[in-house]
Amino acid sequence: MQNQLLDIPQENQLSRKLRRTIAWNVVTSIVRQSRFRFGLVLVLSLIFWAAVFCLFYDAFNFIDSMHAEVMSLLFNTFFSALMVMMAFSTGILMYGGLYRSEESSFLLTCPLRAEAIHAHKFTEALWFSSWGFILLGSPMLIAYGIVRDAPWSFFIMLIPFIVTFVVIPASIGSILCMLVVAGLPRLRLHALSISLAIAATGILWVSWATFGAVQSQLLTAAWFEETLSRLAMTEQVFLPSWWLSSGLLDAALRGESRDLTRQSTLEALKFLGLILANALLLSLVASWVARWTYRKGYSNLQAEVPIRRHRRLFWLDELLARAGSRVGNPIRLLLVKDLQIFRRDITQWSQFVIFFGLLGLYFYNLRSFNYTHVYASLIGHLNLAVVGLILSTFTTRFVFPSISLEGRRFWILGLLPIHRDQIVWSKFLFSFVGGLVPCLGLILLSDCMLGLPWGTVFVHLTCCLALCGGLSGIAVGMGASMPNFRESSPAKIAAGFGGTLSLVLSAMFIILIVITVGFTNHFNLFQQTVGQLSGTTTSWLPGISGGQVVSILIVIPGGLLATFLPLVLGIRAFRQLEP
Amino acid sequence: MIQFEHATRTYGSKVAVSDLSLTIPSGELFALLGPNGAGKTTTIKMLVGLLRPSGGVIRVCGHDLLTETRSAHLHLGYVPDEPYLYDKLTGHEFLRFIADMYRIPRELSQEYIKREINRFELHEFANELAENYSLGMRQRLVFAAAFLHDPDVLVLDEPMVGLDPRSVRIVKDLLKEKTADGMTVFMSTHTLAMAEEMADRMGIMVQGDLKFLGTVPELREHVDVKTRSLEDLYLEITSSSTGRQKASSDDT
Repeated sequence: MQNQLLDIPQENQLSRKLRRTIAWNVVTSIVRQSRFRFGLVLVLSLIFWAAVFCLFYDAFNFIDSMHAEVMSLLFNTFFSALMVMMAFSTGILMYGGLYRSEESSFLLTCPLRAEAIHAHKFTEALWFSSWGFILLGSPMLIAYGIVRDAPWSFFIMLIPFIVTFVVIPASIGSILCMLVVAGLPRLRLHALSISLAIAATGILWVSWATFGAVQSQLLTAAWFEETLSRLAMTEQVFLPSWWLSSGLLDAALRGESRDLTRQSTLEALKFLGLILANALLLSLVASWVARWTYRKGYSNLQAEVPIRRHRRLFWLDELLARAGSRVGNPIRLLLVKDLQIFRRDITQWSQFVIFFGLLGLYFYNLRSFNYTHVYASLIGHLNLAVVGLILSTFTTRFVFPSISLEGRRFWILGLLPIHRDQIVWSKFLFSFVGGLVPCLGLILLSDCMLGLPWGTVFVHLTCCLALCGGLSGIAVGMGASMPNFRESSPAKIAAGFGGTLSLVLSAMFIILIVITVGFTNHFNLFQQTVGQLSGTTTSWLPGISGGQVVSILIVIPGGLLATFLPLVLGIRAFRQLEP
Repeated sequence: MIQFEHATRTYGSKVAVSDLSLTIPSGELFALLGPNGAGKTTTIKMLVGLLRPSGGVIRVCGHDLLTETRSAHLHLGYVPDEPYLYDKLTGHEFLRFIADMYRIPRELSQEYIKREINRFELHEFANELAENYSLGMRQRLVFAAAFLHDPDVLVLDEPMVGLDPRSVRIVKDLLKEKTADGMTVFMSTHTLAMAEEMADRMGIMVQGDLKFLGTVPELREHVDVKTRSLEDLYLEITSSSTGRQKASSDDT
């Protein structure tokens, strides 16, 4: 049989059909097998969307009087930051998709053009890197349109504006990725690190220049004016972010007459055309770069000689392995093993560093603001919740699947002279100690920056201890009760029914602790609020010290229960398991 | 037909494939043997277009893989050692995708898909998502996809891994039938018995060099021992080559 090559439209059609079929199969299998998770994700997404919408609606109403200058600056800052982030994220996704994925290896052996393979992976990367923008940007822009009483054409134009805009930074990221791989294959990690370092330095400099050098007193009108004037650097006419914000602002303008409204809409369409033209141009450039560099770059990367690292025993591992027998020897050795795996898995510890690092940065900057005591206490309390929620995402994402991931290696553990209980306890200790150290440090930092009294700090640290124990207990216990030994991807394990349930229970535990401690530590505030509402003074609740004692008395048993109940149930289930 | 003309591939300072010149005509099943790290996988990756040769030319049915990549791929079928399937496609959908990729007309593609499903006995799971397949099922589906467009050249990398005896027999019979029809088969394998049973010619590669090229009787002549098994002959060639290399590096 004489086979024939596909032409360009046919290749695009093939790629679209493939994605459509996969998407349909994904949706139907989710609806069939993971209705709980699907429903939960949908409901939480809708709640999140609604909450963001309400937040922006209130904010835009608040600043409506200062609208023209402020909105332009805010939009420009938001979209320019988004542009930089999207360029990096798409570049990284394209590197993985084009050069490190099994699919690309398969497609490169098929009679497809390099540009077609690039386009296929680019579409995928575009979806992944822009969904956050869509989730965050759509409620913001819709709220803005409603507050400004924008004409109906504004809401129609939102989708083409967003879709065409995201292509620009994504194309830039993809082009840079391919050029770096083709031109500097050995130095690609260095190029990425240097780029990230430059971007981070730039962001820090801009942040300091904007917020740090402000002369006026904080949170005054003059301070706002001064800060906003420093954001004017994002209003550059050659930036796509400026085209987007200008286009949206024009599209939302409702003039005094129909003609004026029509004129503004036409102005907006001009910017839309500009964005579209540049998006198409950059897509074309990306396609050319793919044609000339993709196969060569892929081949060069394949030919890279891996750097053989002679790994000696790290001093910490050696210390732990030889440490005294307070922790049993098998548990100690399992801890060392898990620590080595954690250290060598960049996916895990980099996310850990990023999230907790950002929290640390935020907490460190709390000292810049002046608070009343009550306000500071509330913020400190909310920071406790934030730390707990971040920790729960890590325990769900990495700790819950840890027992399941032993699945393929279970035959090794099964043959060793260790009890199954010891495997579960080692996972718990690893999670508990690993989470406790950074969380205690963060809470201490937050409370010190807020200038909270030591009584409150002690309560917060105790809560942190309870949260770390409880979240670790829930994740490990449920992971032992509902392991999935067939799956090798931790993301898929965490996304299953057990992982979702673990996340929900973790969130409920955090909310329970936070609400309880929040109520008991803010009796005075509660009394004042109730008094104002009812017109009477209430004095039946104890004061601050009493509240702190009550907090401790509730948190400690609650934390112990959340820690040991799921662990005991998990150990029992794990003992009887046949992998 | 496959042609290697002074094909070379280096990884940094290491030469993975050194000056390989080899022609495999139509209708021949060629088996490439060699120890781990010999350069077999590199040779196959160059042959299917994943790696570019550092020097020399590789042609498939007259098409240079470097300058006429797509045209060469049109004549190629490839079964890798670790088959890739789209987890969220069924077997049937995957075969449909392959048929569309090779622009097989709609009226023919259904017939060909049915043929391959029957041939490789995929009926039971053709409509299930590939994520639920065992290794053997995946391998059979990949074979079906490789044969779907009736390639002129078939490249196999450890093809029998994961296949049960019945499937192995199906593949062997099919390869014999296809080579008789003129298909060129290039197979890399560690299974000496299979190479001896199936191959018209074989090559033994050691540290990037093709140390031997010919039939089993020619190999016996080459090693000058008539009574040993293929395994003994193979070990003789590979260990003596490795030993000479080690001796010379020790001397330096």
